[in-house]
Amino acid sequence: MSSEDRKPTHLQARGVSKSFEGNTVLREVDLAVASGEIHAVVGENGAGKSTLMKILGGVYAPDSGNLAIANQPYRPRSPKDAIDHGLVVIHQEFSLTPHLSAEENIFLGHYPVTRYGTVDRRAMRERTLQLLERLSIRIDPGTPVTSLSVAQQQMVEIAKALSLDARALILDEPTAVLDEENVEVLFRVLRRLREEGLAIVYISHHLEEIFEIADKVTVLRDGAKTGSADVNEIDHDWLVARMIGRGFPDHRSQSRKHGEVALEVSGLTRKGKFEDISFFVRRGEIVALAGLVGAGRSEIAQAIFGLHRPDAGTMRVFGRVRRIRNPGAATRLGIAYTPEDRKSHGLFLNRPTSENITMSVLKRFYRFPIMRLRHERAFVERMVASLDVRLPGLGAEVRNLSGGNQQKVLLARSLAAEPKILLLDEPTRGVDIGAKQEIYDFIEQLVGQGMAIVLISSEMEEILRLADRIIVLRRGRIARTMDRTEASEDAMMKAAALSQATPA
Amino acid sequence: MAQSATMTRSGIGIAALRGVRQQLGIILALVLLLIVSSLLNDRFLTVPNLLNVLRQVAIVGILAIGQTYVILTKGIDLSVGSILGLSVVLFAGLIEGQALAVAIPLGLAAGVVMGALNGLGVAFARIPAFIMTLGMLSFARGLAFIYTGGTPIPILNETYYYIGNGRIFGLPIPAIILLATLVVAALSLRVTPFGRCVYGIGSNEDAARLSGVPVRRYTLAVYVISGLCAAIAGLVYSSQLGVGTPIAGQAYELDSIAAVVVGGTSLFGGKGSVIGTFIGTLIIGVLANILNLTGVDPFVQQLFKGALIVVAVYIMSRSGQS
Repeated sequence: MSSEDRKPTHLQARGVSKSFEGNTVLREVDLAVASGEIHAVVGENGAGKSTLMKILGGVYAPDSGNLAIANQPYRPRSPKDAIDHGLVVIHQEFSLTPHLSAEENIFLGHYPVTRYGTVDRRAMRERTLQLLERLSIRIDPGTPVTSLSVAQQQMVEIAKALSLDARALILDEPTAVLDEENVEVLFRVLRRLREEGLAIVYISHHLEEIFEIADKVTVLRDGAKTGSADVNEIDHDWLVARMIGRGFPDHRSQSRKHGEVALEVSGLTRKGKFEDISFFVRRGEIVALAGLVGAGRSEIAQAIFGLHRPDAGTMRVFGRVRRIRNPGAATRLGIAYTPEDRKSHGLFLNRPTSENITMSVLKRFYRFPIMRLRHERAFVERMVASLDVRLPGLGAEVRNLSGGNQQKVLLARSLAAEPKILLLDEPTRGVDIGAKQEIYDFIEQLVGQGMAIVLISSEMEEILRLADRIIVLRRGRIARTMDRTEASEDAMMKAAALSQATPA
Repeated sequence: MAQSATMTRSGIGIAALRGVRQQLGIILALVLLLIVSSLLNDRFLTVPNLLNVLRQVAIVGILAIGQTYVILTKGIDLSVGSILGLSVVLFAGLIEGQALAVAIPLGLAAGVVMGALNGLGVAFARIPAFIMTLGMLSFARGLAFIYTGGTPIPILNETYYYIGNGRIFGLPIPAIILLATLVVAALSLRVTPFGRCVYGIGSNEDAARLSGVPVRRYTLAVYVISGLCAAIAGLVYSSQLGVGTPIAGQAYELDSIAAVVVGGTSLFGGKGSVIGTFIGTLIIGVLANILNLTGVDPFVQQLFKGALIVVAVYIMSRSGQS
């Protein structure tokens, strides 16, 4: 389909850059999408895809660079402004109002009105049916959105975009919520819209889908464009090479001494989240769970930690079969978990650092009737010093600390309980390079002392740097297990993103 | 590392200062109110009048202490006025036939039971606190009416009457009960694992769960505490008035919430203290007292109280952002 080149460019970005608080997330990115073209934008987590979409959709203004629609300068000031320019973004989280019907959602904000100023329900019904017909989709327009399946809700979103006369459509990971059958339906609809001449931007990290649906592809890595091509002129390797870059990360030099098996799970299953997960981790060893966002990695860690009960499978802690019913029980067995989203699940943001660190071990400082605050303070000071947390004072609210220091506080709380098994979920997300290095060094130190660590990370380099063994998950199942000697970003990406993992 | 160690040491001093400073705003407001009041009326700044204020605020003060626990967990307890009413009629009814040593524990137990029902609904059945305690507001009041048949029960026990009206070392007994409740509550929130967890649950329930905090049990506990405080307030109320009326404590839940928020506790949870609540109670009580002394129309007094609540919380939310 390289004849696409002759079609006129509809949506264009040139030299777009954006940074947040000194962190550059987009660097001089170009994108050109023609009418009647499906243009995939791919990249690892954090490559800058979402930011680019938010700039196109009017959520953020770029720091520099130009946008154009149909060769006219385009400077959206809000999502509404973008819609007025015929550009609609369909997010992973739908923006539907659950208790209104499908047709009411489609026309929310631009209801057809009668000459008395009331909603013209007949016109609304008629136009809804036309839209659904255009998409070849069967949905009763009067059904409340809550009673529709996720796939149907997505179609309502698309119908809504069409009702707004969209000429450009941006879909963010549209298949993440769909099963295979509905993926086919979606693709059929997208092909039809392409025929109608819409410019479609398709964001995904499932590489096989790109070859099935897209005409062109643009690859982002670390906020910069690393390639752009016609899909029928490239192959998987071309994509993967541009997604992960060429620099081979430095493995640590010393090898680790592994001890007894600390944690072993077998056949662990939680319906709809993960299935038949079996692995073990020894003392003095780091096992990484790799995979794309949504592959079930965090859910596995949470099941081990007793936060959600698995449907099947067994867990052994130091050889003994254990059933862990809640986080308190996990803590008593020597398991600690540092959650991935420190702000929403991890920290007590409006409480002092000291309270954040000791929350899981308060009883240790309690001799009836009161807590020994001096002992607690001494303990907190030791933790703060050993992790080198930098803060204005132990009483400072955690929300005022930098990301790196917040992450260290979270780590300090996990370690306060003196665990033997540590589940680390994205331990360096959103922290600066310096803090990252310090956290790595600290993790090395823990492993050296015989800690068994399960590391969940979306950063391939982080996994390659830290892990002894790597388990790659794909849609809730183990796709591949590899040793650090045979691991590479290339192999991990292929196993995580492709259905048939080919041996590296 | 040496550097961070010295930083933490001086940090403790800063933390202590900040703790005082947070309280300082409302303390200053109270002091200012006291100064202005004493200038407006010479009878204000006399020991008998100030003790009278303390006696008058005891009931709402005790309710507000229980309410503070609940609000710290991001909840709300709308039923405290009704639980007070129920305990009032139970105290009155039980005293007729039982010894005080039996009647008083039974009346307090009623508060515990009602609070436990609230707690079970909120923590285990996951009913929003607003709804659960709104239901209890009606339910407990209904029980009070049923128990009395709608007519007040007179209390003829001299000893019981003394609890509400007597003095020990010159201090009104209701004020002593208030202060004792305050001390126990302040300690339980500051220096027990339970208290820390209450703040933790309000600050971030998910994080509390991940830290091994028994979130549901402790959430249940704060509603039990609130119910118990309501019954203690009911003890003070019925012994002060010498009558068990089923309409006792109507709308007191709102007064208790007002005292908590004026005292600087955040409705968003995890922030505040019972000391603040006590000062908030005093501010509202002193304002009512000086308006009375200066002969302001009771209808107009309502305006002052309303404005005070809104302005106080507005000022605190502004200073909290800095």
